[in-house]
Amino acid sequence: MSKKVAIIASNGGLFDAYKVFNIATAAAATDQEVAIFFTFEGLNLIHKVANQQLPMPEGKEHFAEGFARANAPSIPELLSMAQEMDVKFIGCQMTMDVMGLDKEAFVDGIEVGGAVTFLEFAKDADVTLTF
Amino acid sequence: MMNSDKMLDAKGLACPMPIVRTKKAMNDLQSGQVLEIHVTDKGAKADLAAWSKSGGHELVETAEENEVLKFWIRKG
Repeated sequence: MSKKVAIIASNGGLFDAYKVFNIATAAAATDQEVAIFFTFEGLNLIHKVANQQLPMPEGKEHFAEGFARANAPSIPELLSMAQEMDVKFIGCQMTMDVMGLDKEAFVDGIEVGGAVTFLEFAKDADVTLTF
Repeated sequence: MMNSDKMLDAKGLACPMPIVRTKKAMNDLQSGQVLEIHVTDKGAKADLAAWSKSGGHELVETAEENEVLKFWIRKG
């Protein structure tokens, strides 16, 4: 019955992070097996420092108030919830090389791999999403 | 109002928290037992129905009282 959800996170703003982690945690809470491939700016979402202070899109900063009013969980909270529910995080090796970042810059428990690592997971996924 | 074996207060929480908390609470129940959930997130109305269906659980009753949405889900 367990379904697979494969997600590519390739953008690094606060809105992007909510899209990725909300879908991922909701899927995991619905007993689905989830993997997220973080590539290019998407790596910000799992970067230890960057994920605590992701930017809003320019001119949309006033939404900060709305996030507080809606009592939306923080990105670090969503991230650890996702990990608690066994969502697999794959960091893109090539992007990390280009940006000069090593595995230690990222939250614990990530896997580092190339496109094929993700494709191997995604090839029989029931749902594939790109953000 | 029907009886429940466990009660989850998820009022004030935004998506996806009601679902995540429901999933965790349901883990503690046996098949056939009923979880009662209180939420204020309007999106949960459709989400908890879909979640129940997807997990093979039965959404047996819903109610709305002073902006609080109430759900009774029987574990499948």
